[in-house]
Amino acid sequence: MNDDGIVIAGGGLAAQRCCERLRARGYEGPLRVVCDEGVAPYDRPPLSKEVLAGERDSDALAFKPAQWYGDKGVELLLGERAVSLDPEARRLELSSGAALRYEQLLIATGSRPRRLPAAERFSNAHMLRTAADARALRGAIGEGCRLAIIGAGFIGQEVAATARKLGAQVTIVEAAPTPLVGILGARIGAWFAQLHRAEGVEVLCSAQLADLHGNGRVEQLTLADGRSIDCDALVVGIGVEPAADWVAGSGLEPDGIHTDSAGRTALPGVYAAGDVARPLDQRSGQRVRTEHWEAASRQGQAVALAMLGEDPPLAPLPSFWSDQYGLRIQYVGDARAADDITIDGDQDARDFSVRFCQGDRLVAALLVGRPGELPVLRREIESHYEPMRSAA
Amino acid sequence: MSYIPKIDELACSSHGDCVEVAPQVFALDDIAVVIGDGPPELLLEAAKVCPSTAILLFDSESGQQVYP
Repeated sequence: MNDDGIVIAGGGLAAQRCCERLRARGYEGPLRVVCDEGVAPYDRPPLSKEVLAGERDSDALAFKPAQWYGDKGVELLLGERAVSLDPEARRLELSSGAALRYEQLLIATGSRPRRLPAAERFSNAHMLRTAADARALRGAIGEGCRLAIIGAGFIGQEVAATARKLGAQVTIVEAAPTPLVGILGARIGAWFAQLHRAEGVEVLCSAQLADLHGNGRVEQLTLADGRSIDCDALVVGIGVEPAADWVAGSGLEPDGIHTDSAGRTALPGVYAAGDVARPLDQRSGQRVRTEHWEAASRQGQAVALAMLGEDPPLAPLPSFWSDQYGLRIQYVGDARAADDITIDGDQDARDFSVRFCQGDRLVAALLVGRPGELPVLRREIESHYEPMRSAA
Repeated sequence: MSYIPKIDELACSSHGDCVEVAPQVFALDDIAVVIGDGPPELLLEAAKVCPSTAILLFDSESGQQVYP
């Protein structure tokens, strides 16, 4: 290995975990991380919760104190962004015009919120992805403020829950028949709508946004069916897309970089992890891109091992969690293939678990207020894959 | 009464929430590891905060699992 060492494009969770694992496993070569937000890697989940609620300062989210990077010999290139990749020359070009040569490269540029062009001319239209976004939104939400949220995904829901805590009047506008219908189905999606309604949020489903009105600031939304919603601030939470357009022309896939289960791409010495990657799932044999915290953490670690010539362990089942209204919601597996669901417990009491089955096989589970069931259900889902694991 | 914490290695995703709650008990080394002990209330708080439910607690005398 020459002195160009390892370069990581992107300074989020996957990058951080990769650095930690590389140094812990004895890699002593150069390690440079391109962090376009201008700050060291930090944890994003609290942005929609404690940071937005004003209970925690966004400066306190750093994964490691600044000194850690010096001690570990990790060079952070703050405020820089990767703009193009030359795989032949093993060269990454940066926004400042500088270029980095690499022996091995991890692409971990994450994802960015989908834009709603109609909202961009308004100063009180927000998105939530970064600490700066959270600070801006925090300043806009307060007692009595009328907040409109477009999109009932987890970001929209967590912002709604936090905004209610701050005393705001909240309306969620969702185009689909229920929240989360694509991943959890209509029946469970309807429960999420009900959860927010019970907390005083107006949840409008099957609602097509027609237009936004206001002069400099958005003051009213109109829907295709003629309804209108007055607002003081707007949050757009309509999903994210991989921040990989900059790899166009390199041979990699800008809509989610294809990798094997260890994060290797088709290009020599180039890996991808986290939201930007579309890794091969060893269980289903399909390429699956997720936007889960846990996947970014594990994939960043797996790439570190692969870079050092080790074989990473089988990736765990997809899983995520959400905290809303003091309620812990956990999910494991992949419910998209499910043909039957069974609900155990009391949905009105916010104490239930959902088994998603394909035939008689458990493929996913959702737990509401029941963290204790997670280990058992995770093992039950995993057990169907044991033969594959031992054959691997 | 005291509890013995164990990390479910299949489940732990290195969130680090347990380390924030009980730094004298848990540390992150690839995944969470147990490095010390602490009062039962603190261990229970750390186990409950884990988004992956990866911390199991056992009663040190009876050996019975007390969480989850």
